[in-house]
Amino acid sequence: MDISRRDFLKATFVGGSGLVIAVYLAGCKRLPGGSEATDVPGAGDSLSFAAGTPGSETILGETGAAPMVEEISAVEPPAELVPNIFVKIGADGLVTIISHRSEMGQGVRTALPMIVADELGANWNDVGVEQGLADTAYGSQGTGGSLSVQTCFTMLRKAGALGRQILINAAAQTWGLEASDCYAENSLVIHRPSGQQLSFGPLVGLASTLPLPPASQVSLKDPAEFKIIGTSKGRVDNADILTGKAVFGMDVRLPGMLYAAVARCPVIGGKAASYDDTAARQVPGVREVVQIDNGIAVVAEQTYQALRAKALLKVTWDPGANASLNSADLEQELLDRANFTPPAEGEFVQNYIVPYFAHATMEPMNCTSDVKADGCELWVPTQNSQLVLTNVAFSVLKTSPDKVKVHVPLIGGAFGRRLEEGPAGLPVSVDYVREAVQISQAVQAPVHLVWTRQDDFGHDMYHPLSVTQVKARGDQIKTLTMRRLEVSASIPVGYWRSVTNIPEAFAHESFVDEFALETGVDPVELRRSFLSPRAQAVVDMAAEMAGWGSPMPAGSARGIAYHAAWGVTHVAQVAEVTLSGNEIRVPRVFCAVDCGLVINPDMVVAQMESGIIFGMTAALKEFMPIENGAAMRTSFRDYPILRFDEIPQVEVQIVLSSEAPTGIGEMGNPPTAPAIANAVFALTGQRLRRLPLRLV
Amino acid sequence: MAQISLFVNGNQQTLEVDPDTPLLWVLRDQLGLTGTKFSCGEGQCGCCIVHVDGEAERSCVLPVSSAAGKSIVTIEGLSLDGSHPLQQAWIAEQVPQCGYCQPGQIMVAAALLNHTPNPSEEQITQAMANVLCRCGTYQRIKRAIYRVIDEGGV
Repeated sequence: MDISRRDFLKATFVGGSGLVIAVYLAGCKRLPGGSEATDVPGAGDSLSFAAGTPGSETILGETGAAPMVEEISAVEPPAELVPNIFVKIGADGLVTIISHRSEMGQGVRTALPMIVADELGANWNDVGVEQGLADTAYGSQGTGGSLSVQTCFTMLRKAGALGRQILINAAAQTWGLEASDCYAENSLVIHRPSGQQLSFGPLVGLASTLPLPPASQVSLKDPAEFKIIGTSKGRVDNADILTGKAVFGMDVRLPGMLYAAVARCPVIGGKAASYDDTAARQVPGVREVVQIDNGIAVVAEQTYQALRAKALLKVTWDPGANASLNSADLEQELLDRANFTPPAEGEFVQNYIVPYFAHATMEPMNCTSDVKADGCELWVPTQNSQLVLTNVAFSVLKTSPDKVKVHVPLIGGAFGRRLEEGPAGLPVSVDYVREAVQISQAVQAPVHLVWTRQDDFGHDMYHPLSVTQVKARGDQIKTLTMRRLEVSASIPVGYWRSVTNIPEAFAHESFVDEFALETGVDPVELRRSFLSPRAQAVVDMAAEMAGWGSPMPAGSARGIAYHAAWGVTHVAQVAEVTLSGNEIRVPRVFCAVDCGLVINPDMVVAQMESGIIFGMTAALKEFMPIENGAAMRTSFRDYPILRFDEIPQVEVQIVLSSEAPTGIGEMGNPPTAPAIANAVFALTGQRLRRLPLRLV
Repeated sequence: MAQISLFVNGNQQTLEVDPDTPLLWVLRDQLGLTGTKFSCGEGQCGCCIVHVDGEAERSCVLPVSSAAGKSIVTIEGLSLDGSHPLQQAWIAEQVPQCGYCQPGQIMVAAALLNHTPNPSEEQITQAMANVLCRCGTYQRIKRAIYRVIDEGGV
């Protein structure tokens, strides 16, 4: 048998810390059967069966492991059943499920495998999770828009169900009994009439020789039979995160790797005109100084050497077209445009302003790139690994995509910063990837590029400044219309947790509150006149949780807001507000959420808690002024985010639902700012229509 | 360059290093202990906090020369196997989201409870306000700390 190099277990030492990444590819057993059996990507694809699971990897080693470089080249891989690219079942009974989406805190590496495992009939304790490499065989790997569970649910159920049916067929054949009398549960196939059982492991040998079952034989479970979906499962990465073993992008270490830092023009979009690197090159450990598209890169043996040398560079910058750009002017320009047409007779019109926000992920942008003569291997904390792959292949290296390999480590916060390509002609959000590739190409060595906090704040793809104008006829809330105005300045903007839902919810929900009070109707009651039953249910639930309508202690007040980001997940929140001088405090937030069928309930609660803190930061703390083309806040000192001593007590309730599952990652934050603003009005009579909210 | 001896997680390490280098980068780049995180580099966020002679210190602004001869404990050394009560409580309360700040959070909480087994709410708040979390896991951090206190401390 001609076994290609790909088919062997390959273990490679990758760095001083002893991280071992093994790309393991399954057995060579080619299953006959057609791709008509299922529409799971890769199922029935002969490549998938021949090569096992394409493009997946698992981290086997841990910090402190002994250095080694090893290739095991003559080991027959153990028997393994690989029904499709999302799941592998070993002869030892261990189930490996591939997470093809990026984990950045939203729990996708737990939720997606839960779906597969449930349909497979696996015991969750037998399941391990591997991260998929960038590979179009998975379909889209873009992780954004709170879409992963929503769009992958049925596909992943089918992936698991197909594996279950093969195992059932193997058991039925072993027993000489009818497959239709068998079911799978707890990593066992069980013959219902006789109660006979066989565990998955011993079935793998036979199962891997059987034909793929036809689509007509593969059925999805009745949701009433779900065993894993709907139960709270702990995040699969927590043990590693809490012992320091987890590998984030910032933690990738390769043999012979150099560390890079880039000096950038403070004015966004500016370029280096000339530079003097004499002093920088004197720093011990500095290997090279190179000019790249976005600035001057220093490459050294250690990070701190690169950072020190970067500070010693003398660069003359050409600030370019943005040098006279000020966000205050842009905001005024938007307001002028919004107010150009005066309100019609009897029309109630208000403008709501949301400023530029930075993403402020705790892990700054970084990328590890190893460019070789025949291609490039990348370790990128990215929400969009296929975009990284194609951008690097086509636009940086001018090569074919099969020459580029993209690993996705854990991501220390993303919130959209690591997602999109951005509009043509502007810097793209794979900026840090392109920089690392250019530097690695120039120095012909693996390079780990680290952005500083100042780089990260100063060269973000900001949430766009916007003015949203809302109007309605004075007595008719159903005549409400909104229009959002953004500037087309060359400040790079991008996705930011919940994207346009931030200005939409702030404007709409503030306006509804204003309208209610103008017309003397309770804000909860007013919503009854236009909300759908599902939407009204979360409003009623949040109102009940908060004791809406009951008297509040002196010096405090409540506000309510509702929003369904992209129309899918219904969230209502009631915020309680007090004041300390002119400072707004939020002691409690009540939240009700309907996201359809719930995969991992505790994760839904956690994402609501997270969204509320994120939304509160936008409501009370953060904004990014741009002056003379430069971001004016480049530190947590002047770009504060909510701290431990400022948080509210958050209570979350989930509406039980059997509707299709929607998303949760970006659903919690949009209602928070308007709920707080509405409470501030109730308390003070001041209607604040600009974020962050500031009492006068 | 200077030769500096450190005691890291119980092991003595002697390194050739620029004495101004922040301890953070020595841990991460020279000792391969990447559990201690870089985030702000100016002592603002707390992701880099380690124990130096039992005190919670921001390793990104602590020159390695100041740590010479001192006992340093990083997240990797808090327990051998993740069995420290705080690590266990963090799992029980499912604290981490992205997880990047959590080593710093745990090291601050561990230093607090080592010094003050029964801290007041104000003491907890004061200590934990030193570490930022963009995912907003603070409420669960608070629950996890109380869980440890209720179950007998560290």
